[in-house]
Amino acid sequence: MLVPEQLGKVDHSSLRVNQAVIILALLAAFIFDLPWLAAAVALIMLVGTGIGRPGFFFVYTGLLRPTGIVKQHVLADNPEPHRFAQGFGGVVAAVSSALLFLGASAASWALVWLVIVLAALNLFVGFCAGCAVYYWLNRMQVPGFLKEPPTETFPGMRPRS
Amino acid sequence: MLLEGTLARLIFAAVLIAAMAGTYRAGTSLVLARARRKGHGLSQFTPGTPGVVFFTTPDCVTCKAAQKPALLALADRLSGRVQVIEVDARDNAVLAKEWSVLSVPTTFVLDRDGRPRQVNHGYASTEKLFGQLAALGQI
Repeated sequence: MLVPEQLGKVDHSSLRVNQAVIILALLAAFIFDLPWLAAAVALIMLVGTGIGRPGFFFVYTGLLRPTGIVKQHVLADNPEPHRFAQGFGGVVAAVSSALLFLGASAASWALVWLVIVLAALNLFVGFCAGCAVYYWLNRMQVPGFLKEPPTETFPGMRPRS
Repeated sequence: MLLEGTLARLIFAAVLIAAMAGTYRAGTSLVLARARRKGHGLSQFTPGTPGVVFFTTPDCVTCKAAQKPALLALADRLSGRVQVIEVDARDNAVLAKEWSVLSVPTTFVLDRDGRPRQVNHGYASTEKLFGQLAALGQI
């Protein structure tokens, strides 16, 4: 059954800080050749998905928001697609980490870069590819993908109101 | 050897990031080129004065709470030297599609001839819009 127009509240500042930390950490992992760092990012993303929060929410709630560096930006939005997107990214990062430990360097770093590119697309352009996949699965009426995109918003684009 | 590897990876990362930024700029240019090619289609536009086209919808809270006041402040600051055109993206769905409007608010900065020169997806402050108009050298 589809559930239209039951939007929750999503703090997009929290999501954007999460994306920024993921990008920086994975870039550092690539530049300094630190597979363990990529694995740690994957783990944090997956744990965050499990508890229903952005993996690096603690950077936002513990440091950036209290000091006023980043302000809240709460929008009417569905949290589920963002969780799905983070979970998908976490799985890709976990697979790349596993491949790194198995010695498949080029393929695994390519997957890490895929996560970096998609996180950057979300952070700088406002397009969440994982959310777009979620909404596409919703259109296909796949069980479990219940939420429709917010009104007047292209599926996956950051809502503006 | 380790430093060489790190340096090579740093350069690789820099090149990829530059490519991503270039792709984003190219995408923005494509949006503007598409809007120009389709013709602005705005009966409200008066040639001779640069303008800002503001795509909105009746239920867009950010449009009402932030974008509209920013545009009013811009119009006030430029007193008659800019025209602000509000377009309901829902009522003008074809126009919104031709201008590649995916979400609201979206603002386009037009030159004196009505050609779209800049696009802002999401809220654009008075200062930002003023800077974009100033960069055209027409205010």
